[in-house]
Amino acid sequence: MDSDIETRIVLIAPSSDLTPDQIARFVQNMGFQVTVKETCYGVVLEGPRENVRHTMRELRKLDPYRIYSKVRAFPAGDIRRCRAHHGSRPGFAQLEKEWKDLSLVEIGLICAERGERPPEPKRRERMPVNDLKKLIEEVEP
Amino acid sequence: MKIFIMPPNSLILFDLVERFGHEPLSLMGELRERVTSNEIEAPPLNVSSDDVKLGLKYAGIEVPSGIRGRLAVYGPLIDQAEAAIFMEDAPYSFGCVGCQRTNELAKLLIRKRRVPVLSLDYPENEDQAKDMVFKIKEFLEGLR
Repeated sequence: MDSDIETRIVLIAPSSDLTPDQIARFVQNMGFQVTVKETCYGVVLEGPRENVRHTMRELRKLDPYRIYSKVRAFPAGDIRRCRAHHGSRPGFAQLEKEWKDLSLVEIGLICAERGERPPEPKRRERMPVNDLKKLIEEVEP
Repeated sequence: MKIFIMPPNSLILFDLVERFGHEPLSLMGELRERVTSNEIEAPPLNVSSDDVKLGLKYAGIEVPSGIRGRLAVYGPLIDQAEAAIFMEDAPYSFGCVGCQRTNELAKLLIRKRRVPVLSLDYPENEDQAKDMVFKIKEFLEGLR
């Protein structure tokens, strides 16, 4: 495959009102010679690198804090990954976890855009030994 | 600058690094050529004999082949890295697809190169998310 071809996964955050269908139609209407494939989480874009990146920049304008993307190794519709051909999705656990976190990242991005300095969040601390002893005594007096 | 991300397939880190004007070094980019090449039967599950030799540069012969094979892929990314961002406890780290030992070794190799490193946790609430994005932004802007 031509090394200038890039494939990208575009994910829509759960809090967005956009649908994969709307994004796919938007890309098709742009006419940038980019292949677009609708998926459950967003779309897959494929085409010459510059065209894909330009499309991505335009797509972000639709919902700047709720559209995320990363490159994908496998070409769009590759039979080793495509569900229509019973392909496996070994990276889906990671993708699913991060998709759920996108609503939080969106809040972080808006905060960073405003230039706010967030307060240091509380970190989970280790349990003091005495508290642990009390717990053990409660269970096994 | 080229930023190594851990997990190397992280969508959040890839997107944020790109948003803040740097080039993420990702697993997907490294695997692209392998999965589109006709030389390997079932990439990335199979590796070529060159990969096995390349892996020896990053892990000793006594290290399990799975770790060595993965490091053959991660290694060139580690060599190119000018900075790194680690997110701990990713779901990808464990199980048949991920490998926590490879991740530990990759982090060690990065730290040995003495490049700037930012270590974070996955956010669990809004305050942690704000803190995470703020730290990533501050770190990446400080690299210019």
